[in-house]
Amino acid sequence: MKRLRLDRWTGQLLVARPGASPVSTSLAAFRPASAPRCAAVRHQSTAATPFTEDSIPDDHDGTDHTRFPPLEKLPPRSTSLPSPLPERALQSPKLAALHARLSLSQKLPLQTLARALVDASADKNPQFNNSNLAFVGMTLINYHVAEWLMCRFPRLPMEVLYSAMKAYAGPTALHQVARSWGIEYAAAPGGEVDPGLLQFSLKERGDAMTTFGYKRAEAEYLDKYKFRHGISSRVVLDDDFGETVHNRLSNEALAARPDTEYGNELTRSLAEMAFATCARAIVGAIYAHCGRETVKDFVNAHVLSRTLDISKLFSFRKPTTELSLLCAREDFEPPVARLLSETGRLSRTPVFVVGIYSGNDKLGEAAGSTLEQARYKAATNALKSWYLYSPGEHVRVPSDMLSEGAKPWEPVYMDIGEIIAR
Amino acid sequence: MDLHYCDWAGSSKGMNGFIKSLLPKFAAAHPQIEFTVSPRPSKHPVIIGHYINGRQKAICVRNMEPYEILKKVELLRDASGEHLKRTTKPVRSINESVRGIWSPYHGNGMVV
Repeated sequence: MKRLRLDRWTGQLLVARPGASPVSTSLAAFRPASAPRCAAVRHQSTAATPFTEDSIPDDHDGTDHTRFPPLEKLPPRSTSLPSPLPERALQSPKLAALHARLSLSQKLPLQTLARALVDASADKNPQFNNSNLAFVGMTLINYHVAEWLMCRFPRLPMEVLYSAMKAYAGPTALHQVARSWGIEYAAAPGGEVDPGLLQFSLKERGDAMTTFGYKRAEAEYLDKYKFRHGISSRVVLDDDFGETVHNRLSNEALAARPDTEYGNELTRSLAEMAFATCARAIVGAIYAHCGRETVKDFVNAHVLSRTLDISKLFSFRKPTTELSLLCAREDFEPPVARLLSETGRLSRTPVFVVGIYSGNDKLGEAAGSTLEQARYKAATNALKSWYLYSPGEHVRVPSDMLSEGAKPWEPVYMDIGEIIAR
Repeated sequence: MDLHYCDWAGSSKGMNGFIKSLLPKFAAAHPQIEFTVSPRPSKHPVIIGHYINGRQKAICVRNMEPYEILKKVELLRDASGEHLKRTTKPVRSINESVRGIWSPYHGNGMVV
């Protein structure tokens, strides 16, 4: 069987087809018909550039170029473009450094990396911004995180699973990941900006679709009357993190909030979203050029390797009731709380150690300053130890089967579900 | 990493030699670092390292020989950008301890 030629599938990422997009055709007309996929770079070229300075009068912004010569020779009309030209990516030291820092393969060209740094709010043309790459990247990151969480912690309740997904693959986490890669941002987007800088606009949101999910019919009432929406409807209707799709605070509402140390809430949320989209787009670009295995290793190394204490994500309203329901469901003996040890009952700081037993088996144990509190904490610990069951640290995930020569699949442990459906 | 030099001043002599002879090799060996070389006339030569955590470290390299400057550049390369701290404990971990925290309420206790 012949190998799939992944590199042939991604040609459209680099080739801009003139007139293919109805939006901003006037801008697209200035673009080159097809950017060279592997242009030969001549560093330290002594040849004069074909464009003289007299030929760029129409985007003159009033700067006296004889007094303030430009730091870099820019192609003509570049200041009128929304984002830098793809061929300038080959000259950017920032981009080359980022490529080397992430140890990306040589198969991933700098032009694609530059495109991953252009947010939809900077350049509306989907042929030049990162929205398509980001969508691919988002699905890949979410898939790998979800399958790993499900195989590693098969008994997680849906709510905790959603918050764990968000803690690994949500915008805040990916923003931190992108920052840790050393991605810097441009003050304002434009064609003259260094292509190695992340470009996004603080004035408006990009209208790129970056999530799955449906707009609920009762969307208005959810905010207005705080409609209850159960976990089952979230699975079907909402996005990968169990959040309603429409539930984005409007720009005015965010801008009206008080300023923090670094900008107001609106600018902060826009920057966070832009960084997260960029991280997703880089993952999408790796998939497009290097394939499935490389992207899986990349997600493992940069997203799943982060530490998350899942036991902190739980909150139980009635742990004792839930525990007795669990014991009834699993045919255990009903749970009994027993006082294991105590000290200073009549003092200011008493400590009671309570264990929860089902027959002769101790399910959980906790220390508290009152008997009631210790019992609640012990029940919570017992429930956590049930829900956080893990078959092992190195579980096999379904995507392991996609590699060549994989061992036959052994079914992973599947749980029958949570105790109290919410 | 920013490298500033002066064409005229004698304190930049070593820096100019470093930029001419050693920097190309060093930069080629470290593609993950972005180097900018820019003149700073009538000032002492300086190397400034910008780190991912937002901090920067500057070292004045006036009157230094090229190989001394290479040592300083390697120092900036190896630094994490954090303040220098004395490490008293050899291992730091965010994982919780395998043995757990000692509890006075468990075990046989000690008879006083």
